[in-house]
Amino acid sequence: MDRREFLMSAGGGLGGIALASLLQDDCLLASAPASTHTLHHPPRAKRVIQLYMSGAASQCDTFDYKPELIKENGNAWDPGEQVQLFQSSPGKTMQAPWKWQQYGESGKWLNECVAPLGECVDEMAFIHNMVSKSNVHGPATFMQATGFILPGFPGMGAWISYGLGSLTDNLPTFVVLPDPRGFAPNGAANWSAGFLPASNQGTMIRPNSQTPISNLFPASNNFITKQSDRDVLAALKQLNQRHEQERAGDSRLNARIQSYELAAKMQLQAPQVLDLSNETKSTLNMYGLDSTSYEVQEGISEAAEIAYFGRNCLVARRMLEQGVRFVQIWSGADNGFPRRNWDSHEDIKRDHWPLGRGMSTGAAALIKDLKQRGMLDDTIILWTTEFGRMPCSQGSKGRDHNPFVFTNWLAGGGIKGGTTYGESDQWSFKPADPANPTMCYDVHATILHQLGIDHEKLTFRHNGIDRRLTDVHGHVIKDIIS
Amino acid sequence: MFFFTRRKFNFTPLLFSICLLTCSSAAFGADSLFEKQVVPILQQHCIECHNASTKDGGLSLESSQGLIAGGENGRVLVAGAPEESLLLDYVIGPEPEMPKKGKPLSKAEIEILRQWIKAGAVWPDGVHIQEAQLSQTDWWSFQLLKQPAVPQLSEADTKQVRTPIDAFLLAELRKKGLSFSPAVDRRTLIRRLYFDLIGLPPSPAEITKFVNDSDPRAYEKLVDQLLASPRYGERWARHWLDVVHYADTHGYDKDKLRENAWPYRDYVIRALNADKPYTQFIEEQIAGDILQPHSPDGVPATGFIVAGPFDWVGQIEINEKLIEKKITRNLDRDDMVATVMNSTVSLTVQCARCHNHKFDPIAQEDYYGLQAVFAGIDRADRDFDPNPQSAEKRKELLAAQTKHQQQKQALEAKIHTRGGKQLAQLDEQIAKAVNAQKGQGVEYGYHSQIEKTDKTSKWVQLKFKQPVTAERVTLIAAYDDYNNIKAGFGFPKRFKLEISDTGDFAATKTIIADHSQQDFPNPQNKLVNFELEGQNFQYLRMTATQLAPRSNDFMFALGEIKVLNSQGQNIAGQAVVESLDSIEALPRWSRKNLTDGKFYHSADSNEDLVSLKAERDQLLTSLTTADEKTALKTITAELSRIKQELDQLPQLHKVFAAATHFKQQGNFKSTAGEPRAVFLLSRGSEKAPVKEVEPSAPKLISGLNGTFQLKDPQNEGARRLALAQWITSRENPLTWRSIVNRVWQYHFGKAIVDTPNDFGKMGALPTHPALLDYLAARFRDEGQSLKALHRLLVLSTAYQQTSITHPEGNQIDGDNRLLWRMNRRKLEAEAIRDSVLQVSGKLDLKMYGPGDRLFVLEKPQHSPHYLYQKYDPVSEESHRRSIYRFIVRSVPDPFMETLDCADPSQMTPKRLETLTALQALSLLNDHFMVSMSAFYARKIKEESTDLSTQIQLAFETTLGRPPEQAELAILQSIGTQHGIENVCRLIFNSNEFIFID
Repeated sequence: MDRREFLMSAGGGLGGIALASLLQDDCLLASAPASTHTLHHPPRAKRVIQLYMSGAASQCDTFDYKPELIKENGNAWDPGEQVQLFQSSPGKTMQAPWKWQQYGESGKWLNECVAPLGECVDEMAFIHNMVSKSNVHGPATFMQATGFILPGFPGMGAWISYGLGSLTDNLPTFVVLPDPRGFAPNGAANWSAGFLPASNQGTMIRPNSQTPISNLFPASNNFITKQSDRDVLAALKQLNQRHEQERAGDSRLNARIQSYELAAKMQLQAPQVLDLSNETKSTLNMYGLDSTSYEVQEGISEAAEIAYFGRNCLVARRMLEQGVRFVQIWSGADNGFPRRNWDSHEDIKRDHWPLGRGMSTGAAALIKDLKQRGMLDDTIILWTTEFGRMPCSQGSKGRDHNPFVFTNWLAGGGIKGGTTYGESDQWSFKPADPANPTMCYDVHATILHQLGIDHEKLTFRHNGIDRRLTDVHGHVIKDIIS
Repeated sequence: MFFFTRRKFNFTPLLFSICLLTCSSAAFGADSLFEKQVVPILQQHCIECHNASTKDGGLSLESSQGLIAGGENGRVLVAGAPEESLLLDYVIGPEPEMPKKGKPLSKAEIEILRQWIKAGAVWPDGVHIQEAQLSQTDWWSFQLLKQPAVPQLSEADTKQVRTPIDAFLLAELRKKGLSFSPAVDRRTLIRRLYFDLIGLPPSPAEITKFVNDSDPRAYEKLVDQLLASPRYGERWARHWLDVVHYADTHGYDKDKLRENAWPYRDYVIRALNADKPYTQFIEEQIAGDILQPHSPDGVPATGFIVAGPFDWVGQIEINEKLIEKKITRNLDRDDMVATVMNSTVSLTVQCARCHNHKFDPIAQEDYYGLQAVFAGIDRADRDFDPNPQSAEKRKELLAAQTKHQQQKQALEAKIHTRGGKQLAQLDEQIAKAVNAQKGQGVEYGYHSQIEKTDKTSKWVQLKFKQPVTAERVTLIAAYDDYNNIKAGFGFPKRFKLEISDTGDFAATKTIIADHSQQDFPNPQNKLVNFELEGQNFQYLRMTATQLAPRSNDFMFALGEIKVLNSQGQNIAGQAVVESLDSIEALPRWSRKNLTDGKFYHSADSNEDLVSLKAERDQLLTSLTTADEKTALKTITAELSRIKQELDQLPQLHKVFAAATHFKQQGNFKSTAGEPRAVFLLSRGSEKAPVKEVEPSAPKLISGLNGTFQLKDPQNEGARRLALAQWITSRENPLTWRSIVNRVWQYHFGKAIVDTPNDFGKMGALPTHPALLDYLAARFRDEGQSLKALHRLLVLSTAYQQTSITHPEGNQIDGDNRLLWRMNRRKLEAEAIRDSVLQVSGKLDLKMYGPGDRLFVLEKPQHSPHYLYQKYDPVSEESHRRSIYRFIVRSVPDPFMETLDCADPSQMTPKRLETLTALQALSLLNDHFMVSMSAFYARKIKEESTDLSTQIQLAFETTLGRPPEQAELAILQSIGTQHGIENVCRLIFNSNEFIFID
């Protein structure tokens, strides 16, 4: 590996597009990979936060207001075609269990379940005609995370890390904050680097746990002290430099010496980022964090959701401030019992209220906080989920999967606030215009566009194919960018 | 070359020739103009987006019907009037709207369209335009394989040639004015060879022996010794398992355990150690179950085809009616095709799933032909007899068993006919009871919320519409496999049973049973009866005063409550079930399931059945003659003898492999050997099947027939065998080039073709084509021995060069593609872990068997959680070589992943190499590394008490050389201040440990 390859692949260093200029100065850029040359156009945003609701958050109980469901509540539901559901047969038309209200200058209707976001609707752009290729949690979760329904593809954060590189030497480029109760379907594969260099994979940080970053400090032992750690690192550097001097021309050797120095910086920086004690009381309150510690439980409760999600949102903001490029925050774990995610087959009221309140409290705080710090302008927030839920009941108080329509929303980073793009039909069953749905490819293309990247040009050759985040699809959604 | 199809004469090839005619159509008939000139234009520029399945903008240009129908913007063409035709409008102008992708149409092409429209836009009936297909086979990798002559070199250069590969390399080096670098010292060479061939470092004693060996064949002997070591198979199996994406879990969202994958991993290790000829190695992996069904290797070898992920939800949970089922099967076969073809012939055939391959001459039909090869198998556990004798014996015994069973049945049927109405009635009653016994469906019963302590009190009650009178209450415990609890699940430790006329049980209540002061033994599957003796009530409440344990938590569950009235009828179904709380997790748990009459029965809970059967037996005995009794006795004795013999046979082995017969699981049913129909899918979409395809191999090698000559095309095994033989055919140049290229890569760090899974046009070109062909042809023709190939490479001068660079080489060939020096190797994750274990004195060399789980497994019932951070790496049972790790597909071991181990979600022909801060943190701080440093120190201390000697020992054992004075001084200062443990930790983190010269 030469210096260019090293810089391209080293996690702590700069990589990709941002690197190109650096390499040109170095005269090392004999032939830069076509994929990562330079930004394709001036960027509007530098960073991304993806809020991922695992289990399929219901659009018709949160953001997609349908008077038809209120009017027809309890009546037979007839969309005029045969409906094949995932695990049930269609029940009666079912309205959201809570009230709707209009917010902001845009007059966007939100359900009470996500009312805390009411203050932010004029910053948000809603897409109500999202469609998924799969009706099954695993593949569909992959699709929103990686653009493919199969395992083995890089997450959006990995692509962005590969394309843009890092803004800091002290922290990972792509950070993942999982739900403290566990992983969503597919687990860590949702944020893997796939075929991209491993340094682009998401680094998992668990702000709600005792050891938020694994291996940041030595595992329990009886021989390592702070002093020995320092001395060992200094001696290691000496030995490695002697070793390198006898082996000129192999840049990997120096790169590895550097990696130990980056590690030492990360040891200093990471704990600071996770330490919320110097946040003001009003900031903590805004995120719903009355106390800064909360014991993780297995099930769902409103207080717990606010605590988990709020903490992750606040940590995310702190990471962005320190130069992290992409943060992925998960709400919801796997599909076990009792429910610990948004997969409300049995009872929307039971799960969606606490999850919705927790999510919207944290998300609203994040938007307002970024705005007051002047960071919303160049930070994109994407709210997504693997698919939607049916406008009818599942013979109970729950809703079955709806791959045909669900909602995404974006905010910040040059996204046009107060917009609604792509209506769903009168029931929120399918797109109003079924021939022109929005898919994750379009959302991904739009985000890359805002970051200054042409989604068709960010490629990586793997097994004979020039792979893209957007596969062979994707159109930038011009209507939602300002 | 392009083609279109016509009903009358299929697949008429036409030359793409737009220049023949520019403006006049007079010389040609309309038909001919269309087919020769218009079709190629539509085919090249339009059809990709405007075909019947994609229909971008609502428009399909596949057939005349589509053209006439137009698109979203209406009519696209007015025959005879080019100016009014939208079609033409779209493609002309300085910035034409169409085509969206690719180059605009040339003037000549536009003119052809204009003339065609003007002439009436005739589109002959039945002409159907399809996407263009490449047929050019003029590509290096598709050319026949011949063994090139070894290059002639000058006399001086010839002296440098140890094996023929040196001649090929040197000839190329000389062209650039370069030569080989000096030979490396023996100390470095033995370390290089050890890591390369067995993945472990040599001990100081082994190094000394080799350094001092005066035998001129010392190195050769060393090579042979290492190739004969069982450690060789363990090292090289990992390379092959990377390529085939082996793992011990299924992957996808649930990522369930694949308990029987390891016999395939063991097969690969055995096959490499035994140096099986490559043809045999490949044929066994694709059709070993057909070639040698009763052998230790035949069936396990086919673990190859199924090594990739298995979509549990799609295969087992989703029902046959949903389109997702078809998608699942299509993707499942896609993975099989990709696994087999990428690994053996380095062809990325999977690119032709949605369209003809864009770069290689592989048509969609070729691709689906390959899918059809695997249409008869699934990924599943299957049994096999590793021994032909016991297989034969088992077959005999099973046949005899069937025969005797039939005799017995016939006799019993005869006796049965004498039973008349009485017997028929009894049979009916028994059938009813048996059905009731099967009542445990998916409706388990009632389940309360879960609590952290068992001190919480919970109640569930029946509310009748009006007061009722009842004789007896029967409680039936629930049954759930959860945490292996099964019968008696959730039955409270202490409880009471009360009746009342009001729902709050406040004022008037009668206690039926009070077990709240002492533990009540869990009834498991016995019925618990309480007599009511005609008491009158409207409410019946059971209160759990101490909850039942679940897993670190507590709850109350109950399968069924029956309330019997004086007529013995169960009236519980008339009541509404209420409770303090409930987990309503339909269909299993729900309040309403408490009175649905569905619960878990067992022999104990069904006395009826027992007595009915006894009555029936008695009746039958009375109807049987003495002779018949004797006959039955003989048959029964024979059957029990057969069973005994069957039991004595060696147990069947189990492996997750290619399977045609297996037990149905949910919606996952075996094919029983009948291949499923495979269709060519337009755009790869299951919603758009075009036609059924026959099994076949690609037809891109001249002289190698891709069409199979199958006696019975429905015989699925014959399909796989035919493909295996196509791959291993002497005439298939890809196979031989592919394997020697892989082996080269693992020895030298870079392959001759840098894309080992892709020899197509998107792949890299060979740096040394003649060398590649020489190796491939020799390998193919001289025994197909991988070990012979290893010898050829590692005995070469090229391999034994130093890895030190020099300015001249750097300037001319900085990437060292010509091999003017050896490449320095960065150790792989497995080699690092295994070496650390070995030098620390912890490596356990036990071979084979189920994988070592370096994690704690939680919640295996639904989606298993693999918790690496909870695992203690000090535990002895996990100190085997890394090849024996239990590999989790979706959650890789974070330590190994950080060190760039292969991701089993994808085929990994070449590992990516990174150097990151997280890697540094892992090697410094991971529990495994820290604890091994302590073990290492303890071992060193046992050998010497002198710090300086300890340091020298630690250094030399790990790095293969004694420390220099300056190095010793640095380490001495650490050792003195912080102990030998910290010295060990330091050495494990040194560049010299991670990089092999």
